[in-house]
Amino acid sequence: MNAPSDKPIIDLARQQAVVARLRAFMPAAQVLFAAEDTLPYECDGLSAYRQVPMVVALPNTEEQVSRILSICYEMQVPVVPRGAGTGLSGGALPMGDGVLLSLAKFNQIVAIDHAARTARVQPGVRNLAISEAVAHLGLYYAPDPSSQIACSIGGNVAENSGGVHCLKYGLTVHNVLKVKGYTITGEAVEFGSAALDSPGYDLLALIIGSEGMLAVTTEVTVKLVPKPERQQVILASFDNVEKAGNAVAAVIAAGIIPAGLEMMDKPATAAVEEYVHAGYDLDAEAILLCESDGTPEEVAEEIARMEAVLSKSGATRFSVSASEPERLKAWSGRKAAFPAVGRISPDYYCMDGTIPRKSLGEILLFIAAMEKKYGLRCPNVFHAGDGNLHPLILFNANDPDELHRTEQFAGEVLEKCVALGGTITGEHGVGIEKINQMCIQFSAGELAAFRAVKIAFDERGLLNPGKNIPSLHRCAEFGGMHVHDGQLPHPELPRF
Amino acid sequence: MNQPVASKFLRREFPAALLDELKAILGAERVSVAHAVREHHGKDESSFPYALPDAVVFPESTEEVSKVVKACAAHKFPVIPYGTGTSLEGHILAIHGGVSVDVSRMNNVLAVHAEDLDAVVQAGVTRKALNSHIKDTGLFFPVDPGADASIGGMSATRASGTAAVRYGTMKENVMALTVVMADGRIVKTGRRTKKSSAGYDLTRLFVGSEGTLGIITEVTVKLYPQPEALSAAVCCFPTMVAAADTVIQAIQLGVPVARCDFVDPLCVRAINQFSKLSLKEVPTVFFEFHGSESGVKEQAELVQQLATENGAENFEWATKPEDRTRLWQARHDAYFACLQLQPGSRIVSTDVCVPISRLAECLAETEKDIAASGRLVPVLGHIGDGNFHLCIIVNPDDPADIHAGEEMNHRLVQRAIAMEGTCTGEHGIGMGKMEFLREEHGDSVDVMRMVKQALDPDNIMNPGKIIAL
Repeated sequence: MNAPSDKPIIDLARQQAVVARLRAFMPAAQVLFAAEDTLPYECDGLSAYRQVPMVVALPNTEEQVSRILSICYEMQVPVVPRGAGTGLSGGALPMGDGVLLSLAKFNQIVAIDHAARTARVQPGVRNLAISEAVAHLGLYYAPDPSSQIACSIGGNVAENSGGVHCLKYGLTVHNVLKVKGYTITGEAVEFGSAALDSPGYDLLALIIGSEGMLAVTTEVTVKLVPKPERQQVILASFDNVEKAGNAVAAVIAAGIIPAGLEMMDKPATAAVEEYVHAGYDLDAEAILLCESDGTPEEVAEEIARMEAVLSKSGATRFSVSASEPERLKAWSGRKAAFPAVGRISPDYYCMDGTIPRKSLGEILLFIAAMEKKYGLRCPNVFHAGDGNLHPLILFNANDPDELHRTEQFAGEVLEKCVALGGTITGEHGVGIEKINQMCIQFSAGELAAFRAVKIAFDERGLLNPGKNIPSLHRCAEFGGMHVHDGQLPHPELPRF
Repeated sequence: MNQPVASKFLRREFPAALLDELKAILGAERVSVAHAVREHHGKDESSFPYALPDAVVFPESTEEVSKVVKACAAHKFPVIPYGTGTSLEGHILAIHGGVSVDVSRMNNVLAVHAEDLDAVVQAGVTRKALNSHIKDTGLFFPVDPGADASIGGMSATRASGTAAVRYGTMKENVMALTVVMADGRIVKTGRRTKKSSAGYDLTRLFVGSEGTLGIITEVTVKLYPQPEALSAAVCCFPTMVAAADTVIQAIQLGVPVARCDFVDPLCVRAINQFSKLSLKEVPTVFFEFHGSESGVKEQAELVQQLATENGAENFEWATKPEDRTRLWQARHDAYFACLQLQPGSRIVSTDVCVPISRLAECLAETEKDIAASGRLVPVLGHIGDGNFHLCIIVNPDDPADIHAGEEMNHRLVQRAIAMEGTCTGEHGIGMGKMEFLREEHGDSVDVMRMVKQALDPDNIMNPGKIIAL
């Protein structure tokens, strides 16, 4: 975690100048600057980092977006785009000298093409609202981040969001066909195509996951998939976490791609049971949720095959959901895991490291060793099938030493993920949170390639600056930080 | 397609010192300036005339490629990656001169991770070589563009093929790349994890960049469990539209068809002649289903029912592996079969792709255009993806005939773009479709140009392809 050490004070004269330019073509209610109006935008889902923006703009037409951008470009004002503000890596953290561009008013579903199974939606549309709007056609939008009731599709595009079903159905990048938006100069751009492929460079993939640093999204065409006739989930118990980790690898190696394959360890199930009563086996050291979907015959067959693999891998208990309410109840625990953990600890720090699946057992043992080393508890909840971990380190932010140990703990786990051939972030994005760890995962040459791309889109570095891609200076600084065992050199330096 | 004339392109002069430097890096035996070798590397399967590189080099490792690129970069001399030379849009032609980097000796499968369902290969490994290497693991690599192309070349052109409807194109199946950049730097994009949201997605930027941003030297690809059961069927339809409707309905119902390829009566005739088959000369769809025993049966029955409702006459099963192989081989040979319809001819091949909801409409209009032209134009395609090809047969010695063929392609492209489609579903831009890129993408082409300039400021990576600088 890289909390800003100091916050820039808002320059009131500049604030007025920017507000005047924006209010020239937008009503006052869409251009906010008074402290009480801008305060709600001071952070996203990563609330450890806060900064009140200089100005908040709430455009409701594409033309307004274009004009806001070209004015900011001309005045050299940084712009931070924001969707629903549920991001977990500080990607929408505002800037004290910048405009926060909220896409909240872009909340319309523009068109649904039943035959092509696509929907054209504005970026402020909530993830779940898409599925609700096409439910009567027997379709849904597959990526389902746990925050899907609140998070917006524009934010999903910015972060390349996943979810519990992305093992089978892919991430945002696999489910978006086309993105329309504006570059920092206010120029309209369109990436991708409603057809299978689009010629030239795959700029669509570049935009997806770019954390609002290359362009501002104003319309997204998503793929829809048919709702499976039947879904069933197995709850399997294990008496040891490593066995559960190996069972995950065994299921995949047996050639089964479950619709969902999630794992929770004992501390996590205990926290969840107390909160939502999902009916989990509290004696198990770890449980797996393995979902199958398809036609009734396919599901029956796959469930039987998964049971065989799980029992061979040492599962001590099984239950298979017999009805839809039972299935939803089994998932309710997994989806409520974060708030449940929030109840048992004043603060928790969620990591997002991802590793090649076969190393699951190894990383779990490593996390257990770190719990002892730092004297902190760490329940584990994760998308096991993807190898995507979400260890939740429990700490009390008011205790500076605990906060410090948490940062060290998290840093070691992420470095271990990279050492195992993995990545520091599977789905939450880098944002401001993991920017230092980028220096560990990528070489100077690779970071230079990222920067070249950024400059091609945004030469002046005005779109969401300071996120995602660290500067060489920052990496050098972070390298120094390591040598000094966590002692931050030059604490007086502004960190972003 | 604009036939490039040699004089249209300025060839950069081959610096004499560079040849010695290349020989110092690789040894004289792996640097060739022989005319036959250069000729082999100056032509692909498109209808473009030869454009020979000045030298051909055969590196065996990423490090050697890096050294070669560094040497060329110092002289600002073009570098053109070469896989198996099976591309269809002139991707590998050395129109500005240059050094052809043939990666065919980089043919090692570096690692197979069965538990993680991936493999790491050198760029010169062909798809068939990979599949035979992993045969015993119960896994397979599904992207199948017909030709036994190299995985590096398939990545560079974002290839797809008959199984894309189920398994996706190279876009979905490349997890990570090792790339030598224009200044010789070695960059690894992506990780071997199922997902990553760290940094920009350079992997997908390089997939489909056609050698214009860097040279792909290693590829991590996804593998899939071999399906428990397979079945294939040949189905005859009264009209092209009835065939398209059946496929659209099957996909709408969520049937996970593994392959479904369409051929028109003229194409069937060509295939029959070329592959010694006796298929009925009517609009025909080849289907293949993958899954569990019961799943395959269910899928096939459902599709059969839809086909019957759309007036299909018969549904012939091919469950024996050798029958299936023969059918798909015949389908894959269709391009060559069509060439034989008129000996000595060449083909202007088209590659449009439309949203599947517009496919029937696009096919119907195209059929009218073909009928009105009175030309010999077999139609075939991966219609499950909304992607189909016309093989416009032209006389290579008659410029007016070639022009007429290109006009037909242009009309088709405009029709597809008007239907929210694209000028190329799988063959790529190369030099053949550069003008269409702007028609389709408008201002986004400028963004592409900025990306190209950012990563290759001296324009030495396969210059003259995708984007003219």
